[in-house]
Amino acid sequence: MNSIIKVLSDAIYYNLIREQRYMLFVQGLGISLQLTFYSAIIGTILGLFLALAKLSKIKIFERLATIYVDVIRGTPVVVQLVIIYYAILGSSSLPKIAVASIAFGLNSGAYVCELIRAGIMAVDKGQMEAARSLGFSYSQAMAYIIIPQAIKNILPALVNEFIVLLKETAIAGYIALDDLTRAGNIIRGRTFDAYTPFILVAAIYLYITTILTWLLGKLERRLHESD
Amino acid sequence: MIEVVNLHKSFGDLKVLKGVNTKIKKQEVVCVIGASGSGKSTFLRCLNLLEEPDEGEIYIDGISLLEHKKDINRLRQKVGMVFQQFNLFPHMTVMENITLAPIKLKGMTKSQAEEKAMELLHKVGLPDKNDQYPNHLSGGQKQRVAIARALAMDPEIMLFDEPTSALDPEMVGEVLNVMKQLANEGMTMVVVTHEMGFAREVGNRIMFMDEGIIFDEGPHEQRFINPQKERTREFLDKVL
Repeated sequence: MNSIIKVLSDAIYYNLIREQRYMLFVQGLGISLQLTFYSAIIGTILGLFLALAKLSKIKIFERLATIYVDVIRGTPVVVQLVIIYYAILGSSSLPKIAVASIAFGLNSGAYVCELIRAGIMAVDKGQMEAARSLGFSYSQAMAYIIIPQAIKNILPALVNEFIVLLKETAIAGYIALDDLTRAGNIIRGRTFDAYTPFILVAAIYLYITTILTWLLGKLERRLHESD
Repeated sequence: MIEVVNLHKSFGDLKVLKGVNTKIKKQEVVCVIGASGSGKSTFLRCLNLLEEPDEGEIYIDGISLLEHKKDINRLRQKVGMVFQQFNLFPHMTVMENITLAPIKLKGMTKSQAEEKAMELLHKVGLPDKNDQYPNHLSGGQKQRVAIARALAMDPEIMLFDEPTSALDPEMVGEVLNVMKQLANEGMTMVVVTHEMGFAREVGNRIMFMDEGIIFDEGPHEQRFINPQKERTREFLDKVL
């Protein structure tokens, strides 16, 4: 019994207390959350434009958006990250977190595009006809009638995409950005204990995604109130 | 008021309209009947360019629709349409459904538009439903709101695309009554319908469509189709 307590308190001391190592986790979590936040914004805006391009009647927009989505979804995000960091933005002086936000945002945009497109397509086509028959232009019909209804289809899927994004940012360590996962790795290097830091890291991710999933459930119930 | 000349429309290889010609006068109520697939809905949807004809001309008050495609949004304001599936906007209340277009497209103030909407709701017999959402209404009530929504733009012509086909039988009457009242007030109406009773009572003219053309027509005075041709007789025998 005593030896178990000793092992646990040692683990806590070496992995969290000594040299204020818990600060590495706190800062790492901060980086992970910031990265998720910025890339979610970039991804959502990009995804909206890609979706509108894909639904557009102008063939060249539709083609370009389709190629973009296919390329992004057909290649690993970690490869995209290192290409953007080392090759495309290699000579720029942007901070790493900005580079990573751009990389994850560009990646997420392709997935968000499909969510938004599916959400818009799911709105009954009679809605567009009714709006047009009243005299609304295509873009007015989109703005007043179609998109407000599509949001109801899109929002839950979008929150889910943010949860996925948070977990995907765990590879930011590839470009030496000190996110939560890399904080665990740094501590492992100092304590030669692989279990404790990574299990802590996993628990923190789980905690955050659980909160987000709970919020998602609440949101879905709210959205279905008017049905 | 409406003149249709040699209207053709295909969907891929399927020729739906094969040369429709007709004139619809002001205040006339024209009922279009025919088997499914005869092109009657497509014909109706061409009248406000929800379907774009491949060939032919449509004039409304002498203005060619196809030559003025750029103004189509303004021209459509003159032509109200009521759909089989109602197509009310589910994220808006009844009041918002009716006032959206007058406010956004005609520049009415909110209070003007709401005053007008209340008048229309009285007219269709639903003055107490203004703050309900469409999902809380019955089919017949939805269709009456849809009629009020179309009327809110002060259209000169109303198109009805099988307005009672999606309704339970006990709700058909309330919708037909509103339409009858509208016809009595002198609205120009084109009604695609299977309600032969309504067609006979309210329609000034009955058009029988078959194989993509107006196959047979009952003239204005007769108020009912006089089956000149064998095909028309067969169809009428089936539906009556």
